[in-house]
Amino acid sequence: MAEDLLRVEGLRTVFRNSSGLIRAVDGIDLSVPRGRTLGIVGESGCGKSMLSLSIMRLVPAPGRITEGRVLLEGRDLLKLSTAEMRQVRGGQIAMIFQEPMTSLNPVHSVGRQITEAMRVHSPKESAGALKEQAIAALKRVRIPSPERRFDEYPHQLSGGMRQRVMIAMALACRPRLLIADEPTTALDVTVQAQILDLLRELQEETGMSIILITHDLGVVAEMADEVAVLYAGKVAERAPARALFEDPQHPYTLGLLGSVPRLDEERDRLLAIEGAVPPPFAFPEGCRFHPRCPFAIGPCREGQPPLREIAPGHHAACIRAPVEASLALEDAA
Amino acid sequence: MSGVNSTAAAAATPVAPSVPRQPGTLKRLLREPVAAISLVLAVLLVLAAVLAPLLAPTDPFDNNLSTAMAVPGTPGLPLGADGQGRDMITRMLYGLRATLVMGAASVLLGGAAGALVGFAAAFYRRLDGLLMRVMDVLLSFPAILFGLAIAAIFGPGIPAVILALSIATVPLMARIVRGSALVVMRQDYIEAARATGMSDARLILRHVAPNCLSPMFVFATLRFGQVILLGSALSFLGLGAQPPVAELGAMAAEGRTFLFFAPHVAVLPCVLIFVVVLTFNLLGDALRDALDPRLRV
Repeated sequence: MAEDLLRVEGLRTVFRNSSGLIRAVDGIDLSVPRGRTLGIVGESGCGKSMLSLSIMRLVPAPGRITEGRVLLEGRDLLKLSTAEMRQVRGGQIAMIFQEPMTSLNPVHSVGRQITEAMRVHSPKESAGALKEQAIAALKRVRIPSPERRFDEYPHQLSGGMRQRVMIAMALACRPRLLIADEPTTALDVTVQAQILDLLRELQEETGMSIILITHDLGVVAEMADEVAVLYAGKVAERAPARALFEDPQHPYTLGLLGSVPRLDEERDRLLAIEGAVPPPFAFPEGCRFHPRCPFAIGPCREGQPPLREIAPGHHAACIRAPVEASLALEDAA
Repeated sequence: MSGVNSTAAAAATPVAPSVPRQPGTLKRLLREPVAAISLVLAVLLVLAAVLAPLLAPTDPFDNNLSTAMAVPGTPGLPLGADGQGRDMITRMLYGLRATLVMGAASVLLGGAAGALVGFAAAFYRRLDGLLMRVMDVLLSFPAILFGLAIAAIFGPGIPAVILALSIATVPLMARIVRGSALVVMRQDYIEAARATGMSDARLILRHVAPNCLSPMFVFATLRFGQVILLGSALSFLGLGAQPPVAELGAMAAEGRTFLFFAPHVAVLPCVLIFVVVLTFNLLGDALRDALDPRLRV
């Protein structure tokens, strides 16, 4: 097992408002090995984006990180000064966002935005050198005729092109970790595949690690080495990608997998998980999933089950795990 | 003063990011006849003021009692002469110059200070309440009152007027900038820029400010007209330009004495003030329409 680039330990991010304390990220442990991809999946509102913003320390007010450690190569990011943290952002950890249509500033040319991002981390570089590097960055993300694109404005580019520009911008300073927050959700399917291919190729070239946040299990299966399933601000299950898909241990993962249409199996109807993610100010007692869980038993109401190692490298936070996956699916159907 | 508030509010309406310099803005502006006329007039007025020393037939302080109160049409004096026999054309050109400088200086100084306050309030939410309450207090004083107070402290003169009008402009600009900066700062590209490790100052300068320019620009143009009216009023009250300096408001005040014998001495500067204010108001309205992304076809 490769050495971990990033370790998140007991991270907790809360929002306090009139309706009380909202625990958006509630004690999450994760690790991302060097050069590997960690997929983070979950429904809307499960804390995926808040987790990535917490790692970047960009949680919007009134949110606050109250507990935990975020170790990047052993250095706790939560203890850095604001200036040091700025060096980490973009320099060591870069981020790309869901909406390429709105993630570029409409008033600046593409080239200007990339050079601007580079200037933050190499302020002494001459304008000419930066421009050259920016064009190289555009070339790296396979943008045709990068010299011409350099002077174009975001509105002149298609969604896929813009996402490529975002990636070029994120990778301009050769970060060690790329956090991709739903990078393909807003793109159409063929472009999605191209962007995913690009990310994989770039990962091979640069050896960076990727945290891929998505609600699309297909994307995770395609990209991730390891997967963490988030539910209501907590990790429900964490496993190597293959193990997770072949032998899911948490009923929530099971539900997610059951709700994906497949070509190689005959199913009369897709399974849907009953209900919705509870709002963070009204988490139920006990296991947060139990009101929606088809396998819930008495003790599920009583305490939050801890994340347990069920098989080597395979963790699940369910008192009923390990379950026979195939049986479970039939039960649920 | 209700005009001030309504124009300020209109200029502050949600600013989906737009670009003042984007190609096509000038073209859109010129498509409207009123806009085109106001733009041409504004350019002519500014040129006349800048070139006053070249255009003026005489020296603005050349008095000649033999032509005192000469009516317009007198040979050699197409617009007549004032109470001291000074050529009205010359006086108006120089007066226009002083008035425009006064207006521009007030809008630039007050606008810049207001923009700083606005960006600070939008960016540092903890300062927001305090800064905006201070602005509200400033807003509650009429500009004329500032003029009176400042003239009382520093003595009357054009600098006093500029200071007073700048202070009166600060809260208006601050509100407009704060409003549009708050909208811009919710955009995804601001978060994306933060994620590249940009400092706050750079973020404001490079990403927030350029997206707030069009409402600022529109407001500055509209405010220019208002400020000229206020400045002329202050000069008319004797708080601004002092004789023999030519300034349109002060000229109107001087001419008032002979309103019955030689009405042109007071009326002509007033007409010019009217033209200037109307021009810049129309131009401001036209700019707002041209820069409004929702009206783009």
